[in-house]
Amino acid sequence: MTQLNPAAAKLLGMPGLLMRSTLMVILASVLAGVVAVAYTAYTTSQRAQETSQIRLNELLDTIESTLEVACFAKDATLAGDLADGLLSNSDVLAVNITGDQHVLADKRRGWLDAASDAQGVKLLKRPIYSPFDSGKIVGHILLTPDPRVISARIKEEVRLAAIQLSWQLAMVAFAVAAIMLLFIVRPIKAMSDRLHSMDPTTGERLPVPRRHADTELGQLVSDVNALSERLVNTLAAERNLRVQREIDEKKYHTIFDNAESGIFIIDGAGSLASWNPAFERMFEFAQPHADDEYAWVNMGLLSWDDPRKISELISSALRRSSAMAEDMLIHLRDGKRRWVNIVLSPVGDNLLQGVVHDVTHLKEAEASARRLVITDPLTGLANRLGLEERLRAHIQEYAFTQTGGFALLLINLDAFRQVNEGMGLPAGDSILQTTTSRLSSCVKSGDTVARLSADSFGVILNRITQGEVADKISGRIRQAIRQTYFVDGSPINLHASIGITLFPNDAFDVPTLLRQSELAMDSAKSAGGDVHVFYDPVLAEAAEHRRHLENDLRGAIRNNEFVLFYQPIIDLRTRRVSGAEALIRWRHPSRGLVPPDSFIPLAEKTGLIIDIGLFALDAACRQLLAWQGQALDYTLSLNVSGRQIPDGLSPARLREVTDHYGIGTRRLALEITEGVMLHDIEKSLHWLKAVHEMGFRVYLDDFGTGYSSLSYLKMFPVDTLKVDQSFVRDMRDDNNEHTLVGAIIAMGKSLGLDIVAEGVELSDHIKALNRMGCHYAQGYYFSRPIPAEEFGAAVHHIDTLLKGGLPAEQAPRL
Amino acid sequence: MRTLPLLLICVLLGVASGPHAEPVVVVNARSGIERLSQDEVINIFLGRYRKLPNGAQAIPIDQPETSALRAEFYRRLVNKELNEINAYWSRLIFSGKTSPPRSASSVSEVITLLGSHAGSIAYIERSQVDPRFRIVLEFQR
Repeated sequence: MTQLNPAAAKLLGMPGLLMRSTLMVILASVLAGVVAVAYTAYTTSQRAQETSQIRLNELLDTIESTLEVACFAKDATLAGDLADGLLSNSDVLAVNITGDQHVLADKRRGWLDAASDAQGVKLLKRPIYSPFDSGKIVGHILLTPDPRVISARIKEEVRLAAIQLSWQLAMVAFAVAAIMLLFIVRPIKAMSDRLHSMDPTTGERLPVPRRHADTELGQLVSDVNALSERLVNTLAAERNLRVQREIDEKKYHTIFDNAESGIFIIDGAGSLASWNPAFERMFEFAQPHADDEYAWVNMGLLSWDDPRKISELISSALRRSSAMAEDMLIHLRDGKRRWVNIVLSPVGDNLLQGVVHDVTHLKEAEASARRLVITDPLTGLANRLGLEERLRAHIQEYAFTQTGGFALLLINLDAFRQVNEGMGLPAGDSILQTTTSRLSSCVKSGDTVARLSADSFGVILNRITQGEVADKISGRIRQAIRQTYFVDGSPINLHASIGITLFPNDAFDVPTLLRQSELAMDSAKSAGGDVHVFYDPVLAEAAEHRRHLENDLRGAIRNNEFVLFYQPIIDLRTRRVSGAEALIRWRHPSRGLVPPDSFIPLAEKTGLIIDIGLFALDAACRQLLAWQGQALDYTLSLNVSGRQIPDGLSPARLREVTDHYGIGTRRLALEITEGVMLHDIEKSLHWLKAVHEMGFRVYLDDFGTGYSSLSYLKMFPVDTLKVDQSFVRDMRDDNNEHTLVGAIIAMGKSLGLDIVAEGVELSDHIKALNRMGCHYAQGYYFSRPIPAEEFGAAVHHIDTLLKGGLPAEQAPRL
Repeated sequence: MRTLPLLLICVLLGVASGPHAEPVVVVNARSGIERLSQDEVINIFLGRYRKLPNGAQAIPIDQPETSALRAEFYRRLVNKELNEINAYWSRLIFSGKTSPPRSASSVSEVITLLGSHAGSIAYIERSQVDPRFRIVLEFQR
C-alpha cells in the first residue's frame, strides 16, 4: 500500500481522474449536442417547411380572387402577372398555373433546374374555384417553395442551436470538472499523498477529509484504515510465524544432523536429494564435505547386498503410496556386513523420505534368540521345538517331492531319575552329554538328534522307509547307551527304551508322530526297558481305552461313584471282630461294581488316586463315627498308595479329618506296602514317622512278597504286619507256605509287631494260625468285603461261627 | 323602431329597381340555339368562352350601365352585384385577352344589336321578348 508506484499513481490517480471525467463529460455533452442539433435540425426543417407552406398559403390567399378570375377567364397574361408577383417572394421558386387543362403560366426563378425541385420540397397545390361558383374548379396553382431558403433557414437555426448548446455544454463541463476537482480529486489526491508517506505499522492512519465524514470518501478512508489495520495485523502474525518457523527449522535441523538414524530424501529413480551425517556414516561416504560429488548418488549404487531389493522397495512404496519397511544387508569397506532397517514413506511429488537405522544387533539378538528357542543349552542339541521344526520341514519336503520319509525315535533313559537324584545333577548332566555324543555317533549327518526333556531324546532318521533300518539303528543306539558311563570314576550302567514311528507309514503330522512314538516308548518301558518298540495301532487303542477310563474316573469322583467296602478283621485271642479293612469299590453306573485292580493303577498314574484317597479317608472316618455311635470300638485300616505320600494324604490332612469327625487316631490304621516305602525312602520315612507320632497305626501290607527286609522293619515305625494272603491261602500242614507264615509270625512277634493273616479261607487255617500265635485274621472264611450296612449281620454271623465250637470245618461263605 | 330605417331602404330600393324587372336570356331566333344552361350563359357573359354550343361566335350584350335589369341579371346569374362584376372585369381588362360584353347604350340598342348579329346573346325584360328572339334561359325566382 505504501509502495504505490508514483507513475501508476499519476496514471490512475488524481489528474487522470479529472482529465478522464472531464473528457467523459465533454464527450457525453458533444454526443448529446450532436443529438440535440440533429433533432433541432430535423424539427427546424419540419417547422421551416410548415412555415413556408403557411406563408405560401397566405400568399395564395391574397391573390386568390385574382387567380380565380385569371383561371376563370383563362387569362394567361393575368396568370403570368400573378406568377411574377408570386416569384417576387423569396420563398417561391416556381409557379405553375393551370386553368381548365391549359397551362396559363409556368414560371420559375433562378438557376435551379426542374429536376432538383422535387427533392425534399413539399409542393403546394391548390385548386382554384370559379369566382361565380364556389363549387366549380376552374384551375390549379402549383407552387414550388425554394429549398435553398428553407435550408438556409435550417442552417441558421442549427447554427444558433449549436452555439447555444456549445455554451451550455462548456458551462456544464466546467462545472463538473470544478466539482470533481473540488470534491473528489483533491481529497483523493490528499489521501494518496498521505498514503505515500504513511507507515501503517507505526499506527499512522488516514485522516477523514474535511466535510467528507458522511460521504463515500469518508467511507473509503475508514475502509482503507480498516484494511491497513488488518494488513498490519496479518503482517505481524506472518512475522511471528516466520520467526517460529525459523526456530523450528533450526530445531529440526539439529535433530536431522544429530540423529543416530540415517535420514534422507530420494526421488522415484532413487537419486539422493538430501541426507544427514548419520546416513553418510552408515554407508561410509568417503568425504563428508564433498557434497557436490555425491549430489547425484543413487540409492541403488550404495553397498547393498542385494541392490534389486532396494529398487523394488522404492517402486512398491511409490506404487502403494504408503510407507514400506524392509531389513537389508549392506557391505562395509572392512568386509563386515551390517543389517539396516529402511523405511520409505512417499511425501508426494514422486519423492520418498527415508529413515534407515542399524539393526545388526537386533538381528543378531533375534537370531540367537531363535537359536536358543530351538536349542537345548546343556547338550547343544535341538530341543523339542527344534525337533518339531525339523519334523515339519521334513514333512513339507516330502509333500513337495513325494520322496523320502523318515523314522522318529523317542529314546528314554531308563532309571535316569534315580541317578540324577542319587548322584546329583552334575552327574546327570555329564551322563546326558555323553549320551548326546553316543547318539550322534550312531546317526548320519542328515539325521537330527534332539533332547526333548530331562531324560528323553528324539532322533530323526532321515530317508528311511523300511522298518529294518530303523530297527538296526535302534539296536545300535541301545547298544551304545548300555556302554558303561563313568562319572567321577564311578561306573554307571544305564539302558534306554525306544519308541519308533515311521513317516509317512504311521502318521502324517507332527503331533501324531510325537504321540505315537511316545506310546511306543511307553510300551517299551512297560516291557521293562532296554527294548525298542515300533508304534502299533494297538498301542493307540490301549491308550484310547485308558483315556476313556480316565475320563470315567474323573466323572466317578465328581459323581461320588466310589464306595468303601469293609472286610472284618478278627482278634483270634478274644474271638471277636476287632475291626475291618476298608477297601475301595467303584459303583460304575453301567459296568456295575468295578474291582480296584481295574482302576487303581490308572488312578495312581494320573494322580486321581489322591482324590480317591481323600474320599476314602472321609468315608472311613464317617464309618468309625457311626460305629462309635453304636458303642463299637472297631478299628479301620485304610490302604495308602505311594502316590499319596507325602503330600496327597499329608499328616496334617489326616489330623484335620479325624479331628473333624472326633475320631481317635488309634482307631485308624494306614496300610502301606513295602514297595511304597522303598520308592522314596526319605519321604516315606518322614511321612510314616509323622503319622505314627500322631497315633495312627501303620500296617505293612502284602508282607512276604517283596523284599521283606528286616532292616526296613526296624527302620520304619510299623505296628502291624499283614501276611500276604497268597501264603495263608495255600498253607497246608508242613508245606513251604506253612513254614513261611510261621517264620513271618515268629519274626514279627520277636520285633513286637502285631500280625494279621490275610486270605483265611478254612478253619484249618485258623487252627494253624492259633498254633503259630497269630493275633488277627481276615478272609473269606469269615466274610468277604461287604458294604457298611451288611457289616452288623456279618459280625453276628462271625460271632456264631466262632462260638459254635471252633474250628468248624466247612464254614459257609458269605 | 329600429326596423323602420331598414324597411325604408328596402322600399326605396324596390321602387328604384322596379317591381317587374325579370330578365330572360335571349338569342337571335335565327341562331338556331334552343336552350342554354346557366353555366353556358355565365361563361359567355363573363368572358370564359365566347362560343355558342353550335360553334358560332357568341356576342354577349350588356344592358346599359345604369340599368336595373343589368344588376338584376347578374344578381340572378352569379349572385353578384354590379360593382363586383366591374371589379372582375377590371382585372381582366389589362391583359387584353378578353373583354366584357358590349354595353348597349340603351335597351333599344340591345334589341338592335340582338337582331343585327346571329351570335348575339343578351338579356332583356321578359315583357320585351318578341318573336325575333328566342328565350334560351329563364331564371327561377
